[in-house]
Amino acid sequence: MHTLTRTALAAALAALGSAALAQQPAPSPLKNNLSMCAGCHGIPGYKTAYPEVYHVPKLGGQSPTYLVNALKAYRSGERSHPSMRGIAAGLSDKDMEELASYYGGAGK
Amino acid sequence: MNRALVTLFALALAGAAQAAGNAEAGKTKAAQVCAACHGPEGNKPTAPENPVLAGQHQDYLAKALKDYKTGKRNNAIMKGFAASLSNQDIADLAAWFTSQKSDLHFQR
Repeated sequence: MHTLTRTALAAALAALGSAALAQQPAPSPLKNNLSMCAGCHGIPGYKTAYPEVYHVPKLGGQSPTYLVNALKAYRSGERSHPSMRGIAAGLSDKDMEELASYYGGAGK
Repeated sequence: MNRALVTLFALALAGAAQAAGNAEAGKTKAAQVCAACHGPEGNKPTAPENPVLAGQHQDYLAKALKDYKTGKRNNAIMKGFAASLSNQDIADLAAWFTSQKSDLHFQR
């Protein structure tokens, strides 16, 4: 194959490959993401309805690392929860860090 | 007949109170099982990944422990700890941690 063609092909494949690897959504403004969380976690005493009834957990003051890990586990499906999975799927790693920082407080 | 009924009633009441979770029993259990990673009151995590438990919703705490125990929530470390807990232990621990103080709070 002609060298230029080969180079172009390699570059194209590399671009495709890196695009495939970056399986995260682009970061969104914090405010948009927070409005998703507030719908359940921002209503005092809010409880799930099905299949089990329990209070959605308090997030304020929680360990930021724990929150990021939880969101990642929801995103990957490792932690099972349909609503949380849907929400986490739309969050990039940067989004998650910003949210965790917001709830967990700086330096915790 | 009356005495038997009264005894039965008293026993039933005692049983119900037990199932609800005894914070003092939870305190003892927590010191043995949970304190090393979460602190005896659940407010001093010894690593960034470990969540604050103190002040979290009681039913959410109980659900988390049950899910770790059954494997519905997948975590090798917590699975080991939860495996050693009875349902009563879980209720007691939830009652203990929910009543402890920490920075954990509801946040919009």
